[in-house]
Amino acid sequence: MSARALRNGLWLAVLALAVGFVLLGSAMDFAYVIPRRLIRLAAMVIAGVCIAYTSVIFQTIAGNRILTPAIMGYEAIYLLFQALLILCLGTQSLVLLGRGGNALLSIVLMLGYSWLIHHWLFRNGRNNVYLLLLLGLVLSMVMATFTQFIQLKISPGEFSILQGFNYASFNKARLDQVIYCAVLVAAACLVVHRTLPVLDVLALGRDQAVSLGVDYLPSVRLQLALIAVLVAVSTSLVGPTAFMGVIVANISYALARTARHRVTLPTACGVAIGVFIIAQYLVEHLFNYTTSVSILINLVCGVYFLALMIRTRGNP
Amino acid sequence: MRPAVWLVPFGLLCCLSLTLGVKEVSWSELWRFSGDAWLTVTASRLPRLMALVLTGAGLAMCGVILQQIVRNRFVEPATSGGLDAAKLGILVSLTVAPASGSTARMLFALGFCFLASVLYVAIIRRIQFKSVVLVPVVGLMYGSVLSAVAEFYAYRHNLLQSMQGWMLGDFSKIVQGNYEIIYLILPIVLLTYLFAQRFTILSMGEGMASSLGVNYAANAALGLMLVAVCVSATVITVGAIPFVGLVVPNLVALYHGENLQRTLPIVALYGAALLLACDILGRLLIYPFEVPIGMTAGCIGGVVFLIVLLRKYT
Repeated sequence: MSARALRNGLWLAVLALAVGFVLLGSAMDFAYVIPRRLIRLAAMVIAGVCIAYTSVIFQTIAGNRILTPAIMGYEAIYLLFQALLILCLGTQSLVLLGRGGNALLSIVLMLGYSWLIHHWLFRNGRNNVYLLLLLGLVLSMVMATFTQFIQLKISPGEFSILQGFNYASFNKARLDQVIYCAVLVAAACLVVHRTLPVLDVLALGRDQAVSLGVDYLPSVRLQLALIAVLVAVSTSLVGPTAFMGVIVANISYALARTARHRVTLPTACGVAIGVFIIAQYLVEHLFNYTTSVSILINLVCGVYFLALMIRTRGNP
Repeated sequence: MRPAVWLVPFGLLCCLSLTLGVKEVSWSELWRFSGDAWLTVTASRLPRLMALVLTGAGLAMCGVILQQIVRNRFVEPATSGGLDAAKLGILVSLTVAPASGSTARMLFALGFCFLASVLYVAIIRRIQFKSVVLVPVVGLMYGSVLSAVAEFYAYRHNLLQSMQGWMLGDFSKIVQGNYEIIYLILPIVLLTYLFAQRFTILSMGEGMASSLGVNYAANAALGLMLVAVCVSATVITVGAIPFVGLVVPNLVALYHGENLQRTLPIVALYGAALLLACDILGRLLIYPFEVPIGMTAGCIGGVVFLIVLLRKYT
């Protein structure tokens, strides 16, 4: 089968999944059931796009197929920041800053973290992927422990708000939040699509990119900024997804059979959305809410990632 | 500095740990060997001190054994799936035999931990990884898979919240009568010291070990069994404490070399001292409440681990 036919098949499958998700067992209740499901579907699409874009772009910049923003601690620092905000300002922070203020502050912080990681990634040990991987994993663990520590200090009421950030799920998605996120993601994606050729060149590595006339540092910084925005959106919408980005990116490379971002990015989006819908479907119908999407995804993607590590034996 | 000199600050830490607490203990009253002060010390402070010292020494020793068997500096119960397997074992015992006591839970945790470690060592030995840091990465991934299985299981049985409660290392629950399992660590520490030479030989690889007349498989299994007993006893009584087994042996190797016969007592001493210091810090930070030691040790150990990694590779 040609790569194009494969991709068309993927989109058909995703479409069928989406239609099935919205309509199956809904009794055609257009007043309540279907609008609720559409909101959930929209949340999944937005989160899927975020995860697909951030993972593929990050792997392009880092020059390997294993590191993703989630592994390098982007999600952990977002959650740590939310906890710190509630600790320092109390629940008034939500009123004081509003949704917009909070999002803006988080994005600024993520930008800082993004540039820090980049600075570090490109100066030391760029050639040692596994060292970076280990550093990322340990850093995430330490930040998660700090977050836990802050949770210990805040009052139970504030804790329950924070818990909402940590274990967000599609079932809780609200319309205003979804619209808000959709606008942000659409803007970020528009910028990415204007720079697609630059991304293709960046994938060749720093020296090649420079000799082909790409203004290297500003381009990379722009992409990292976009990653920061998208990770903030996806974490606020669905919570941490850990290893999902790796599996999504690798499946999309296999399906696309080309390194062009014009092809790999949409394919990755399709894969991510499909994974989310299947997981949500399993949770709702097969497991009857005795498990959660994040647990399922962590289980499956963790196994895949372990298998990937063992299979490649240290030559990615 | 000679290691013996470290006994003095260690003694001071022990004394500090004994005197610290919300309940005032008047030392003059203590000499009557009865009454309130005596009860506080014997029922709560001393058990806590003993548990801290034993856990610290035991976890540090576990790190050494695992590092010798796997031949990698960055392996310890938290980076080889041992802790997560013990967690899964306790969960299974809670659902299979909810009425059974802590002995049954201990046996389940022990079995799961041992099997998981054997599988991990088999994977690592079968696949000759090119990169040194890949070994702990695979271990962390392996642990997170086991942990995801445990979470899946716990969510189904509505145990998620209680699991998070008892997995976080915490010494505040330790009182006379519920911590005695921890004394199992004492023979483990002695046995490890006794077998130190064998573990050193194991670290030279299977070929060298068998040509020196050491049965590789049997000794590796023995080592993993010692680790499993120690980890499960710790998890049952206090919960998970990450990174102690990694940080302490690395720091000791940095300053005192690798002669296990000589360095094992230092490793045990440093491990106990590290836990004591973390515990005292946790008790003071939000006095009169406590920060669980899983957090203080996790933060301090994690940061030290990062520093060791960066110093070694950049």
